[in-house]
Amino acid sequence: MRRPYIVMTLFVMLSIILASCAQATPPPAANKLEEVKNRGVLIVSSDPAYPPQSQLVENATRPADTKCSGDQVTGEELSGFDIDVSKEIAKRLGVEVCFVTPAWDLITAGSWADRWDISVGSMTVTPERMVNLYFSQPYYTTPAAFFVHADNTSFTQPSDLSGMKVGACSGCTYDFFLAGTLQIPGETMNYVVQDVQFTGYDTDTSALQDLALGDGVRLDGVLTAQPTGAGVIADGLPLRQLGEPVYFEYLSAALDKKSSKDSIPLAQEVSKILQEMHADGTLLKLSEQFYGLDLTTAAGAFDLAQLKQW
Amino acid sequence: MGLTCFNHIALEENMAVETMQSYGPAGPDPDRGMGEKLMALEKRARLIYTLEVGLVWVVLFVLLTLALMLLNFDPQYVVEHFNFVFQGLWVTIQLALISIAVASILALLGALGRLSTNPIAQGISGFYISLFRGTPLLIQIYLIYLGLPQIGRQLTILGYPQLGQMFTLSAFQSGILALSLNYGAYMTEIFRAGIQSISYGQREAAIAIGMTRLQTMRRVILPQAVRIIIPDIGNQFIAMQKDTAQVSVMGIWELTYRANRLARQESKFIEMFITAAILYWLLTIVSAWLESRIERRLAHAYER
Repeated sequence: MRRPYIVMTLFVMLSIILASCAQATPPPAANKLEEVKNRGVLIVSSDPAYPPQSQLVENATRPADTKCSGDQVTGEELSGFDIDVSKEIAKRLGVEVCFVTPAWDLITAGSWADRWDISVGSMTVTPERMVNLYFSQPYYTTPAAFFVHADNTSFTQPSDLSGMKVGACSGCTYDFFLAGTLQIPGETMNYVVQDVQFTGYDTDTSALQDLALGDGVRLDGVLTAQPTGAGVIADGLPLRQLGEPVYFEYLSAALDKKSSKDSIPLAQEVSKILQEMHADGTLLKLSEQFYGLDLTTAAGAFDLAQLKQW
Repeated sequence: MGLTCFNHIALEENMAVETMQSYGPAGPDPDRGMGEKLMALEKRARLIYTLEVGLVWVVLFVLLTLALMLLNFDPQYVVEHFNFVFQGLWVTIQLALISIAVASILALLGALGRLSTNPIAQGISGFYISLFRGTPLLIQIYLIYLGLPQIGRQLTILGYPQLGQMFTLSAFQSGILALSLNYGAYMTEIFRAGIQSISYGQREAAIAIGMTRLQTMRRVILPQAVRIIIPDIGNQFIAMQKDTAQVSVMGIWELTYRANRLARQESKFIEMFITAAILYWLLTIVSAWLESRIERRLAHAYER
């Protein structure tokens, strides 16, 4: 008789479903902010692949009294600018911070299924991301600047690179700037460099390495984040910055629009906390500690209301 | 092969000699010395062969080490950070062990479906194998991690919040589900072949003594089939241990995740990837050894 197999399989499936229905329901909360406060834990996503924003701490010990679950990471086990900002946000909310570390594209995809509450991961505010995510008050900015080889003497300002061989990470904001299609809320773009022969790279550092091979060998210039360029120059690459930054990216904390509980109140509360951190100099101090310069003042002046999120 | 045959002849001769000895009158057997000499010769030949194979391994290992030394490689960095990567080994083992267990159950059910004449069971298992064998594991991981919660959300909106919650799996659970479903599909065919390899006469004999189909399967067919498919399951287990690396995209701190994220701090990619590779390699060596132990144990009843 073969019927019993199918009947048995269906029965097992049904009993699993029923068993799950018997589970206790969590205490009700009206929105994400209340849920976080009830839980006593703010779950933040951060991919520790991008020092100095976020990196691993070796030989860290989990605090014994932590409320973080087994598949979450405690504040002790990560370090960096984003991590310190997250800790400060949680402290001012009066809760403990716990981290999860999914890959970056899983964070920007939205639909987090309540696995984490907020991303504090130096995310650039863009119209595309605003479809799936709410953005908080920006906590710092990254200036985008052109870099050329140190041997070069003919380029004196960014517009000199028009029509030349310019590289950048492909699919990122630098790529879109060179293509003349970049839109950053709150900023009027001035596309000073035009008609370049563009080469796309997987990461900014590969583009900078290629530029360092020699003036005009593979590239005449690279558009990247100013701190990234300054970092490789400090590491000994023969490059120099060309003129002033061409635009600023605003970097914010992000929240899921599709979470089961309304996340707008938490987004507003976090924005308020970030404004306080701008005002009392906490963010400026962290910026100087990690980057050696002030990257925060412009972000504090950003008018969040113009995004018309709520 | 030649050596093994030789071994059998020598053994049989020796046994024959001893049996004869117990029957015959006391005193040394003239053939005994001959048998012992053959055995000693054979043993020596086997030892030399093992040593030769071992020497080839050593030479290859030295060559590999020399090749690694040509890379821009900092052994000190490996020594200092080995412990942090090593802590991921247990997570990798857990993922692989739980997944192979669930995959085996899925494969057994799938194989029974494949062998069934019921169109529903046949259809379900055929569709399952085709779908999960025909799509990449990495995409299955993304779909289970990102996609399932969205189905759950729709169910919640439709008024089944508890049922909806079930679809939101943690990263670890998603990893296990993806690995189990993927490997279960491959292993279904292994189980099916194993079950079919048991001769039909056994089934008829079982029916003749009044066993039901379920009893026949459980008491006659499966115990014999398991012995045959153990090497293949072991093979899948080893493959799975390495595929656990793909769940690192969900931020599970297993071997690859730890090696990769640590490497980015000081751009020590070669060092960290080699560390992880060595750990995976050691893990699979131990697994292969365990598998051969189980195989030998199950083969006891068939040894001469």
